[in-house]
Order: sequence, then structure tokens, then C-alpha cells
Amino acid sequence: MSPHASMKTALASIALCATLALFQGPAAAQAAGDPKAFVDGVAEQAIAIISDEAASTKQREEAFRELLRENADLDRVAAFALGQYLRTPDDAQRAEYRELVETFIVKVYVTRLSDYNDEKLEITGSQKRGENQAIVKSEIRFTSGREPVTVDWWLIEKDGAYKIFDVNVVGIWLAQEQRSTFTTVIRNNGGRFDALLEHLRAQIGKAEKGDLSGIAQGG
Amino acid sequence: MGAVLAFAMLGGAPALANDTDGENDPLEPMNRYFFELNIFFDTILLKPVATWYDGVVPRPGRDGIRNFLDNLRSPVILANDLLQGEWNRAGTTASRFGINTTVGVLGLFDPASRWGMKQHSEDFGQTLAVWGTGEGPYLFLPVLGPAPPRDLTGFVVDQAFDPLTYIYWDRPKTVPVTRFVVNGVDQRARSLTTLDQIERTSVDYYATVRNLYRQSRANEIANGETDYDALPDIDYLTFDTNEPDTAGM
Repeated sequence: MSPHASMKTALASIALCATLALFQGPAAAQAAGDPKAFVDGVAEQAIAIISDEAASTKQREEAFRELLRENADLDRVAAFALGQYLRTPDDAQRAEYRELVETFIVKVYVTRLSDYNDEKLEITGSQKRGENQAIVKSEIRFTSGREPVTVDWWLIEKDGAYKIFDVNVVGIWLAQEQRSTFTTVIRNNGGRFDALLEHLRAQIGKAEKGDLSGIAQGG
Repeated sequence: MGAVLAFAMLGGAPALANDTDGENDPLEPMNRYFFELNIFFDTILLKPVATWYDGVVPRPGRDGIRNFLDNLRSPVILANDLLQGEWNRAGTTASRFGINTTVGVLGLFDPASRWGMKQHSEDFGQTLAVWGTGEGPYLFLPVLGPAPPRDLTGFVVDQAFDPLTYIYWDRPKTVPVTRFVVNGVDQRARSLTTLDQIERTSVDYYATVRNLYRQSRANEIANGETDYDALPDIDYLTFDTNEPDTAGM
């Protein structure tokens, strides 16, 4: 493998920490609270939203959107998902992209999480990552006796509180999956940013016609 | 994944250090063609059969078949455990085979799991990765699905670790072929909802599957241990920084 690369990263992160410490001073250090308690709270609310059978898909999506706005760093996720094309969109495209991505994420995860209604999430550990990030490890344990599913939460501090940046479900980082797909769409359309917006609009449109909610009930 | 990420890290722009952009998929048009072809065969054949199997064969029956097939794979897993120097996992694989073949009635049941010996996957593609071989360019083949050179080589070499290969060396291949088909149907039946969901929640199904394949392989190769140090640097990742324009590089 490549010891050289990891040395480089190690040095880079040391330099980064030193810089951060210089600019922020000691006060910023522990403001964000306990990462485990944060994840526990968010997961509980998410499961409650998904398990609420009285709610319509639309209500569920709105509740989930509120939860995400409050607890996830959606802007950073949106920026990350563009990869090398981060600076490609102009102001108008960027504004539309941010809005579409939020709606898209809400629809995707209300659908994909529908399998996990009425389940319990157990926090199994956590670790700091640099000055302002944390990884919280957890497991979804199924009442049916199905193998537990491991879920890692990657948190980053923003305005003195933890926000979710990415979630890893059985080894898959979801923001990385989105980035890979989004950048492929842009690249295959000759770097045309509008192509991504069109794909996102189409996907959301399909969802609104009930394609997504249909399978959510099937699961 | 370590090697892939490290490679990307060395070449990447500083702000997005280990960006995995540039998907290493030089044969993408051909791959997409085979991908569509597989979806076609899935729609007209595999998915209906899997749906039927899922509906007709009761859960205990399906689990028995799954256990039996998994147990039959033990020699391949064991060989690769050993080649990777994973002595503890090799011990687990050998004990599981012994217990499940006897107490578990020829592998139809999996009592070893209940006794704390959980199943794990290994194959020669993973062994090559542990030895430092990179995945190579992405490749998607008819029937087999995602099979980049490293994993395709692994698939071929694994046949040599499989006793069935020798038992049916100069006889009709009915049993190995049946196993391949039943295994495929069972796996498809187990992913009916998941794959549907992924297809309908992707802006580009092909690209999503490619990334999911790579991430899940990386996870298998690392035996489920996530390397948090290899994660990308996200500290200064916003739309609002005054960094120089790096787009289109």
C-alpha cells in the first residue's frame, strides 16, 4: 500500500489542527456536546417519523425535511456531492441545485429507510476525528432476528453544534455514493451542469407521481 | 480501497484531497451496454423467477438452501482465509464447516452462528487486494455483473479451491451449474426490494451500482473495519469559500 500517502495525510492533518488551534483558541473545543446523545436523539426522531403509519408520505417527507435541516449539514453534503465540479454552477444553478438536492435526499431516504420502521438503534461507540469531527458507531437490531445492520455517523461541528455529514450503512458511505453518481452524470454530459439538474428534477418528478411511495409501502 | 484512495490522494487537488472522481471506467460505453443487457434479462427472466421463488418457497426452505450453499463454499473461504494469514478466521471457517455439516444436517442449518461463529465472506479477489493488487478498471460483464480484473481473476482462481470443480471435472456439469443458478436466484430473491429502491432513487443507476460495488468490496476486503483516517477532508468544503476556481481541472 502507500505509506507515503498516509504520511502526507498525517502531516496535513497535524498542520491543519495546528492552524485551527491558532485561529480558534481553546474556547471552541468542547462546545458541541456529546456526539452519542446527539445521534441517539436524531435516530429516535427519524424512526418515529418513518414508523408513523397515520402520516401520509407527504407529511412524513416534510417531517423528515425539518429533521434534516436542523441536524444535518446539507450544504456541505451538497458541496461534497459535486466533487471536482464544485465551482462549475453559476449562482442561479447553485441555488436550484441546493434546493433539488434537499428534496432529493428527503425522498431517497424516506424511501430507503422505510425498511427500518419500528426498529431500535443502539449506539456502540464513538471517536473524535480531528478538532471538530466525530464518528459515532451504532447498530440497528431487528426484532425479527435478522442480522444487525451497522450504521456509522460522521458528524462535524457547525455553529457550536454537531451536524450529520455522512452516514455509513453496512460499509457504504451515502454521500460518497451520491458524489460518484452526480459527478458521473455531469462528466457524461460533457461537464454540463444543467444535465445534473435535469436528472434530479426527473427523479423527483417520478417520486411525486408515486413511484417511490409505491415501493416504500411494498417494503 | 486504501490503495485506490491513496492513489487518488496523491493526484488530487489540495482542496478535495482524496477525491475519487475520475471513475477509472475506460470501457464505460461497453459496460453500460452489458448493464442494460443484464437489466433486460433480469426483467424478463431472473426477477420473475426470484419473485416466484420468494413467494412459493417458505422462509425456512429458503434459509435452508442459503445455508447449504454457504456451507458448500467453506473450502474456498478457508483457502482464502489462510492465504491472507487470517488464522482466527480460518479457524472459524473450519469449525463452522465441521459443525454445520454434522449438527447442521449437511449444512441445511447454521447452528455455528448461534454458537458465536458468524459467517464471513472471502474470495481470491479479496486475497489479491490484501496482497496489494489494485482493482483495475471497472468491468461489467453479462451474467456475472461487476467484475473488474482483480475480482474476475479471483472468481476464476476460486474455482481451483472448490472441491466440486474436481469432483465434476470429467462429468456433466449439472451440479455446479445448478448451484450457480440456484445461488443466483436466491441472492436475487433476497435483494428484490433493495435493488428496486436503489434503482428508483438513483439519478444514474449504472453509476450508483458501480460505486456501491466498489464501496462494498472495499468493506469486505477490510473485513468490515472502516478506516476513518482514509476519509476525505471535508473541513473547508463549502460553496462560499474564496478559493480559486478549480472546476473542470
